[in-house]
Amino acid sequence: MPSLNAFLLVGAALFCIGFYGLVTSRNAVRVLMSIELLLNAVNINLIAFSNFLDPNNIRGQLFAIFVITVAAAEAAVGLAIVLAIYRNRDTIDMENFNLLKW
Amino acid sequence: MTFSEGVQLVSFIILTAIVLGGAAGVVLLRSMVHSAFLLGLVFIGAAGLYVLLNADFVAAAQILIYVGAVNVLILFAIMLVNKRIPTDRPVFSPRNAVTGLVCAGLFALLAVCIFQVPWQIQEPVAMNTVIEIGKRFFSEFLLPFEVASVLLLLAMVGAIILAQREYIPDRAEGEPEPLALPERPRDEVDTTPTGRR
Amino acid sequence: MNIDLAALNAGALWPEYIVTITLVVVLLVDLISGRKASWSLPYLTLLGLGIATATLLPMWILENPVSFLGSFTADPLSVVFRAFILISAALTVLMSVRYINQSSLATAEFYVLLLGATLGAMLLSGSSEMAMIFVALELLSITSYLLSGYAKLDKRSNEASLKYLLIGAASSGIFLYGMSLLYGFSGGQTQLTEIAPRIVDLGFPALLSLVLVVAGICFKLSAVPFHQWTPDVYEGSPTPVVAFLSVGSKAAGFALAIRFMTSAYPGFSEQWQTLFVLLAILSMVLGNVVAIAQTSMKRMLAYSSIAQAGYVMIGLAIGTQEGYSSMILYIGTYLFMNLGAFMAVVLFSLRTGTDEITAYSGLYQKDPFLTLVLSLCLLSLAGIPPLAGFFGKLYLFWAAVQSQAYTLVFFGLVTSVASIYYYVRVVKLMLVKEPSPQVLGYSEAGDQDGIQTLKAGMLITTVATVVLGILFPPLISLADTSLRATPSLQQVRTATPVSRVSTGAEAPADHGR
Repeated sequence: MPSLNAFLLVGAALFCIGFYGLVTSRNAVRVLMSIELLLNAVNINLIAFSNFLDPNNIRGQLFAIFVITVAAAEAAVGLAIVLAIYRNRDTIDMENFNLLKW
Repeated sequence: MTFSEGVQLVSFIILTAIVLGGAAGVVLLRSMVHSAFLLGLVFIGAAGLYVLLNADFVAAAQILIYVGAVNVLILFAIMLVNKRIPTDRPVFSPRNAVTGLVCAGLFALLAVCIFQVPWQIQEPVAMNTVIEIGKRFFSEFLLPFEVASVLLLLAMVGAIILAQREYIPDRAEGEPEPLALPERPRDEVDTTPTGRR
Repeated sequence: MNIDLAALNAGALWPEYIVTITLVVVLLVDLISGRKASWSLPYLTLLGLGIATATLLPMWILENPVSFLGSFTADPLSVVFRAFILISAALTVLMSVRYINQSSLATAEFYVLLLGATLGAMLLSGSSEMAMIFVALELLSITSYLLSGYAKLDKRSNEASLKYLLIGAASSGIFLYGMSLLYGFSGGQTQLTEIAPRIVDLGFPALLSLVLVVAGICFKLSAVPFHQWTPDVYEGSPTPVVAFLSVGSKAAGFALAIRFMTSAYPGFSEQWQTLFVLLAILSMVLGNVVAIAQTSMKRMLAYSSIAQAGYVMIGLAIGTQEGYSSMILYIGTYLFMNLGAFMAVVLFSLRTGTDEITAYSGLYQKDPFLTLVLSLCLLSLAGIPPLAGFFGKLYLFWAAVQSQAYTLVFFGLVTSVASIYYYVRVVKLMLVKEPSPQVLGYSEAGDQDGIQTLKAGMLITTVATVVLGILFPPLISLADTSLRATPSLQQVRTATPVSRVSTGAEAPADHGR
């Protein structure tokens, strides 16, 4: 069985890849995908901890289920907003969003 | 090393390769459609890791919700929205290289932190996770469980309101624009990409 | 496993149940009677919020605040913040009636989402368990994203909501990663108070989780450097939504910050206080300096709200009883003065269709009432003596002086003086200058239903802004009692020096292993 540290490293790597995507992506949908990567990194952490440190109470698994639920809701809302934007502007490229300045 | 341990190790390595390789593809590939399919692969790989970690129920939920719902939603959005080929942006720019270095530094920091903590590993317990999760949802986690239902209801209502098409009746001259802010925009919109700082 | 219903102590959440019931009732009334009943929905919402406030007040000091097996702690601290959130939601309803009608936005869903955001904020201010914190935070955030994109045919609103969603979801991802580390460090605990003793000896890893958690929380507080979304979202969202975000959602963020820091990180209080000292100074300086350059009223109020959050953070950064109680008092006064200013902005933009600052010039000649309300609220925000904002700031700075945080006081005083410039500029414009074209074409002829409720709201907030200043001594003692009765704040020291700014970062490192 791989050790706890191995799983945590996978989680950390996934978190960093997601973070990279978050900063460099120019497309709103890709940013949403990077956020999903972050949330998956969190879930890997939670479930690894739950298995190795908390096998009796498995609170990490319950927490992960909440994360999955919320992620689904967030994705649905995000795509509704993307659709609304697309109807008004014909693009979802982040570069073209300068109606309001940063 | 027993046979089952060997199998676990090999599957861990394969799943890790799938998850991390897929994730790298999601952020680096130019084609949005390829990225979205790779994202599905990442979700499946993560579900495999959950099975290795004795979290069978979460693995099933992951496949159903992430692969079945989130990923399909994202694919829908891409197919509906992306009519043109995405912009020809170089993947390797100085800015991205700096970001990559920062992320590598972050990973190093997290890794140091992971190796520093003296984890108190406990022996695994054989149990039916579905029963245990059900019990805990209705005791310890009752309140978040109920609040999550309100959250889903509101997300549904709001998403429908935003995404549905409006049929606006003809309006008389001089009436305010419907479904817009009453404040007029400050000046004409500048949509050229160079307008950004 | 048998669950004893009494052990849940479910009665502590009656205000939340009532908000939820109101939410469902509004949805059903709209479903059944459609357009005919849509005029009644705001009043139904107000009624629900009123009943919720009425049930909240008797819960001032509960014998057993822990409910739902530790998910929620209904201590006096949470009661104060829940009351703030209910009041700000009710005032937001008052200012939205006319706004919604005039922009022909869907009525029922707006109030449903607003009630949802209120519910999320109220739950957030009492949550004491990580899964609950996360779900409540997301309930608040997701409804806020939806509300800020509510004017869906307006490109600015679309963009505001997308930006808010992307930055918000990213920051909650970072917050979650921090919480997942905490779950592991504590060996499988999710209750904040259970975590604290288990991470005391960890050193560097615990600090890493602290940084991640603070980054997540500061996004909600829009503290510099996590503020980038604020001006854009404030400018692009419907103004009543902005008003709620700047008060209700911020109050919930501060409640979360106090509870998370004092319950989960009491062993690292020096480190997180140093962190908040830096954040407070950055927010005060940047918020006030950038606000001077703004030409749009909503953007100016956005930067001013960043600066105001900086002032509130002084109380958090010094971490004493006086600090917390001055924080609560300042949020209470900020609630009324900021909502009053936003109501005036709503009324002006409904009548003239603009929120340029220059358009306000000469307003006194056409509408003295609006001018009076806006002037009093802005002067109070600037901290001019007889008004509530002055006493709020005074008490904050006094608390900081008591714990010898002179750096904070210095920055607070200097930036307050700078802030007087841009607040008074608007007041001067309205009183002294010649009327602008927009003001010349200003008429109350277009006024229809809903203007009366808006004016009632303006009256309430202005009176509160003026009167709260006089009522300060009893309010101080009220805030003090609420803090004394809050168990998680009991171990707080009464006055300790935190005058350093840059130490602490190097202090922690490695006493872990």
